[in-house]
Amino acid sequence: MRAASTQMGRFLNYRVAGWGTLLIVLGILPWFGISSNLTRLLFTALVWIIASVAWNLLGGVTGQVSFGFAVFYGLGAYAAAMGINGGLHPLAAFTISGLVAALASIFIGLPTFRLRGPYFAIATIGVSEAVRVVMTNLSFTGGASGYRIAEHGRFRPLEHYYTALGFSAVAVVISAWIHESKFGLSLQAVREDEEAAADIGVNPLKAKLMVHLLAATLTGIAGGVYARYAAYIHPQGVFGFHTSVAILLMPIIGGAGTVAGPVIGGFVYGLVQEELVAAFPQFHLLLYGALLIVIILFEPRGVTGWLGRLRGFIERIWRKSATASVG
Amino acid sequence: MDAADFVNLLVSALLLAGIYAAMSVGMTIIYGVMKIVNLAHAGFLMLGAYYVLELHERLNIDPLVGSVLAFPVFLLAGMLVHWTLVKRIPVSDQPTLASLLLMFGLWLVLQNIGYLIWGSSDRSILTSRTLSSMHLGPITIPTVRVIVFIPAVCSLGLLEFVLRKTWYGRAVRALMQNRYAGRLAGIPVEKMARLTFGVGIGFAGAAGGLLAQLYSFSPDFGHGFLLRSFVIIVLGGLESFWGAAAGALVLALVETFSILVLPAGYQPAIAFSLLVLALVLLPGGIAGIFAKKHRWA
Repeated sequence: MRAASTQMGRFLNYRVAGWGTLLIVLGILPWFGISSNLTRLLFTALVWIIASVAWNLLGGVTGQVSFGFAVFYGLGAYAAAMGINGGLHPLAAFTISGLVAALASIFIGLPTFRLRGPYFAIATIGVSEAVRVVMTNLSFTGGASGYRIAEHGRFRPLEHYYTALGFSAVAVVISAWIHESKFGLSLQAVREDEEAAADIGVNPLKAKLMVHLLAATLTGIAGGVYARYAAYIHPQGVFGFHTSVAILLMPIIGGAGTVAGPVIGGFVYGLVQEELVAAFPQFHLLLYGALLIVIILFEPRGVTGWLGRLRGFIERIWRKSATASVG
Repeated sequence: MDAADFVNLLVSALLLAGIYAAMSVGMTIIYGVMKIVNLAHAGFLMLGAYYVLELHERLNIDPLVGSVLAFPVFLLAGMLVHWTLVKRIPVSDQPTLASLLLMFGLWLVLQNIGYLIWGSSDRSILTSRTLSSMHLGPITIPTVRVIVFIPAVCSLGLLEFVLRKTWYGRAVRALMQNRYAGRLAGIPVEKMARLTFGVGIGFAGAAGGLLAQLYSFSPDFGHGFLLRSFVIIVLGGLESFWGAAAGALVLALVETFSILVLPAGYQPAIAFSLLVLALVLLPGGIAGIFAKKHRWA
């Protein structure tokens, strides 16, 4: 028992050390004179990571695949935009983003969580499209022509960068905690078998609503952080179907149901996406679609699964050569 | 609103319902036999539209004939997709997320192949009948709607005949009702699934060709119609052929008559809201209201 707990402790320490190193590297990177373009790309990647980690809590850990996260991203973006225009401190505005998205998650979750699996997924497409149409026609948000944020003072890219870094660190900590906690176990139980989960005392609806709320809050904040940076948002962008698709593809490609997967997915998507769009306009999703097909057919754990296989392969070779040299 | 307006709206709703039924039937039949929610339906609708466009522009083939010609081509394409991709995911009695995401990935691929070949600008098919209309007293009907409505309904009638009277159709209906009993009765499930997937995709391609004569399209074409197809098959109780026809009628009526109470900008939201309402409130579809236990196949 004791051996197991120290082993667990060592395992945790390795992981904490790994994440800490990543955080420090990303934290001091801007001081080494990286180009403003790279800062911008990293900022984009970090915002996507917040949303990707959030989606994974609902889609990966709890198994409720949603095509509707653009709703939270967009509501968060608009809430922050209006808050900042109303003279609020950005952090207060981001809090409102989270609260608005959380509120929306309850209104969306209560009816749609009566549905299972693919039916839930389809219902979320309907919800997000309906919200997009309404936002396109709503007059006080500027309708289809979008909404502009007027923030006074100089534009400071590093402030945006560190805001995104801070929130994505919070998101990863929440995700890691959920993966270790009893709450996370109950979510996994819901994913594997709702009836069995209910039999052992988990309330599936409550568990789903809670994790939906948490994921929506984080996604709303991501939308808010993006909106403040972009200074201009419009319904076809933040509420667009492609936003939902991006938020769904990142964690699945990285590895759904893991802590590291969504972060890897977000980094890859954030950094590669722009280059792909610049090189092949309109064509970039071909690669992601093909990747999604390959992942569904061969490796449900995505990139983390491939990395795990690679590690197993290297370890086998290493062990073989070790025994060979001993023999 | 006077009586003539009402009849006008009613006629256009009925004509729309015919197209909607033809559009969603491919999805219904695939769902019924394989329990796969075919998100790639949108991609095949789009490809069907471009197929008819290319035939029309290059070979000067009438779009109606083109739509009919789309069926065999898309049937083979569907069988190929089943053979290469779909049969590799585990068979299940319930629709699975794996199959949903697989078809979604395929949709992304098809859509972007569309962008690669045809670019992102809107295209449309113009024929001599596109802008003409028929007058029956006070009622005005666009000719092209009627001309598209006829093959749509004929194809549905043909499918219904096949499902009722042929060995293939009886096998399909058996598999819709109970996959395992069907297997025990000697139905080659794998082969039937492949053929059915082909038929479903064939209908999608042909329906795409018909829709292309009514609306302009881009590689993102199927998106709105995919959601409408969902509404229809959910309203229809997911695996019932006549249910889907009834669902198409309900959606067409609601969409057409909503113009009286809602601003036109909000109109697309109707289908999506109806989808959520139907999923949550009517798990058995329209057919489920009338017959709780009895299944219409």
